[in-house]
Amino acid sequence: MNITIDGKICEAEPGELLLAVAARNGIHIPTLCHSDALAGLASCRLCIVDVNEKGWHRTVTSCVYPVKAGIEVETATERIVEMRRTILMLLSARAPDSDVINDFKRRYSVPDVERFSGDAKEKCILCGLCVKACEGVGPCAISTVGRGITKKVATPFDEPSGVCTGCGSCARTCPTGAIEMVEDGATRTIWHRKHDLLKCRICGEPYITWMEMKYLSRRLGVKKLDLVCKKCRRESLAEKMMEASEHVRPL
Amino acid sequence: MSGNGGKTVLVCCGTGCIANGSLEILSALRERAAKAEGIDVKPLIKSTGCNGFCENGPIVKIVPDQISYYRVKRSDADEIFDRTLLGGEAVDRLLHVDPATGKRVRSQMENEFYSRQTKLALRNIGEVDPADIDDYIARDGYKAFAKALLHMKPGDVIAEIEKSGLRGRGGAGFPTGRKWKQCASYDSFPKYVVCNGDEGDPGAFMDRSIMEGDPNTIIEGMLICAYATGSSSGFIYIRDEYALAVKNFTCAIEKARERGFLGGNILGSGFDFDIQVVRGGGAFVCGESTALMASIEGRVGEPRAKYIRSVEKGLWGKPTVLNNVETWANVPLIIMNGADWFRTIGTERSPGTKVFSLVGKIRNTGLVEVPMGITIRELVSNIGGGVPGNRNFKAVQTGGPSGGCIPESMLDLEVDFDTLTEAGSMMGSGGMIVMDDRTCMVDVARYYIGFLSEESCGKCVPCREGLRRMGEILNDICAGKGREGDMEMLEKICETVSEASLCGLGKSAPNPVMSTLKHFRDEYLSHINGKRCPAGVCRELTSYFIDPEACVGCGLCRKKCPADAITGSLKSIHSIDTQKCIKCGNCMDVCRLKAVKVR
Repeated sequence: MNITIDGKICEAEPGELLLAVAARNGIHIPTLCHSDALAGLASCRLCIVDVNEKGWHRTVTSCVYPVKAGIEVETATERIVEMRRTILMLLSARAPDSDVINDFKRRYSVPDVERFSGDAKEKCILCGLCVKACEGVGPCAISTVGRGITKKVATPFDEPSGVCTGCGSCARTCPTGAIEMVEDGATRTIWHRKHDLLKCRICGEPYITWMEMKYLSRRLGVKKLDLVCKKCRRESLAEKMMEASEHVRPL
Repeated sequence: MSGNGGKTVLVCCGTGCIANGSLEILSALRERAAKAEGIDVKPLIKSTGCNGFCENGPIVKIVPDQISYYRVKRSDADEIFDRTLLGGEAVDRLLHVDPATGKRVRSQMENEFYSRQTKLALRNIGEVDPADIDDYIARDGYKAFAKALLHMKPGDVIAEIEKSGLRGRGGAGFPTGRKWKQCASYDSFPKYVVCNGDEGDPGAFMDRSIMEGDPNTIIEGMLICAYATGSSSGFIYIRDEYALAVKNFTCAIEKARERGFLGGNILGSGFDFDIQVVRGGGAFVCGESTALMASIEGRVGEPRAKYIRSVEKGLWGKPTVLNNVETWANVPLIIMNGADWFRTIGTERSPGTKVFSLVGKIRNTGLVEVPMGITIRELVSNIGGGVPGNRNFKAVQTGGPSGGCIPESMLDLEVDFDTLTEAGSMMGSGGMIVMDDRTCMVDVARYYIGFLSEESCGKCVPCREGLRRMGEILNDICAGKGREGDMEMLEKICETVSEASLCGLGKSAPNPVMSTLKHFRDEYLSHINGKRCPAGVCRELTSYFIDPEACVGCGLCRKKCPADAITGSLKSIHSIDTQKCIKCGNCMDVCRLKAVKVR
């Protein structure tokens, strides 16, 4: 089936999400809370677009909107852009020192607003990606806590969590770099807890926490996890493939 | 009614009356009845749900005599028993006084508060004992379900509901029949039927009254829908603060199971259905349908985008019909009496009645059910008895915290789903808060935005951050720190929040601000530019004085002043010491001559 995005006719599968269809067709829709690896959250609302379905216009969030045949999508009408600017103004009031948000602000020419007080240290926009990532990996060590304007992401009771493996998936998925993860060569500190780091047996670089190693061994059902970092794993795989290809005779 | 040829005493045991001691009246009457000698047939003493006239509770009714007593005390129990039940005469002092004629009236039908109402959803409340399923059956209970199950095809049931034009009483007004029809069309099982009893609007108690006072009508409505859509499992989500509703509903489910109305092979038809009570943890947002379903599933109560509707993928991804308590209560009546009958009540686009809770600055605080299309004037002035004291009506806030304020100029608005939305408010679940001229509309907006800031789920940016910033601005304005451009900033945020938020809560959250900005703009201007709160509510902007022209020196304000800030001898003009005044506003409230004014 076909849909139209900003005048361009795009092919799509029924039920496919609009953001994905747009991306495939080289049409950029801004977003902060989207990750290709995780289900859409629709929390940042930057990806709002105007959808015209048989003459009926509505504002939808493209990251969770399943497309229907024949819809006409406008990704940057005056009204949509104005709403995006207000959303960015609100985000910037919350996290005034976030580079990512300030970058967006420049792109959308959002003026600085003196009216509101913001916490200079705050970078979290509560998009929820970190919580979803932790759920996806398995431990569910962090969660959103409370509701309304005092909502936050935390471990239970803000105490060091017994189930957090220190894997850092939350920090890596965070779009604004709001989760503090500090390493000193031997340890990694995240969510109020210091984790011992283990070294890669090939290059000797510390890359995995002891807790994560234990967790992965249990999940994979192996007694002793082969400690090879991502970089060395790729290199050794490449070597093996080269070796193998030497023995393959061309047809 | 009484079943034993004698009389029946119905003691209102709604939450309001219980708080005023109706359980003690009930036991006193029962004790007296147990001791009574020399009568052939002892009267029945029953507890019922809420009669609605909560302002004048506890209420005791005697049938078949049709005598209603108000503001009854425990000490009145013996007299009621001896004089009315044994002697057959009314106790005058406990009767209702008609405000127009000053005469005492015996029956509810002579009381303007009741005579102007049309009770459909509330038809049994105050008449039946919610714990006694036989009371419900005696009033044609479960007849509609039997009719549907044994004499109608599922498609006919849906067609009848569709034809009736019944719209969801939870607030959005979505056509109930269409919802059922869509759910029935999906070939995916199991299907679920859910009752939303998470009423959370401040000042609203419509659903509570039905759940407490007539749980069987909800069960019957859900049964009819389950049969029509092919569901075998139902849930009722009741907020846990409604302890009595949870208790009465659980009891009603057990009794319905005992009688074979719930469970397997109902009425020997092969149809199975059962209902489970789920207690809500007190989050306002869980009244939103998708958040409610997440909560039932045991997940965090956050809404999801509804591009795929719950009728297709609801609870655990299965087709689900979710209706509000009051909607369910209407269903048996429509099946029993037909869609054509239902359409004779109310308006063309909103047939039937609506239950409203009348609260705030109004004489007859309570619960009323009226046909759609009634004017706000009739609701407030005639049924509600108008604004008490010598104050003037200012606005009525409808639709709960995310509703809007309707000004005096729109008192003749005929209330239905569409007119209220066009007026910048909404029907919501039916809360109506009446405000008089001692209410500051900026303060009202500030209060509701504060409520919503705490009760928003906090998931999406426009709602969470928008409410936070609107709250900051409104707090500033009320504290005298309003700035130029604040109103424009509020409007700008409102526009984005109402359009770009994820769920209904966020989309309607700006209503209190937008409607007050529209209808009471001058009050905002006085706060921001004049640094003055005309209603005398915002303390930082208020300074009281006594108008020497109006003061007669009655001394009432002086007596009521907690700070001893008012001086003056009897029959001479009083004055307020602004240094001592703590700006509580007591003096202004008590002065019958409106001599206390705001500078």
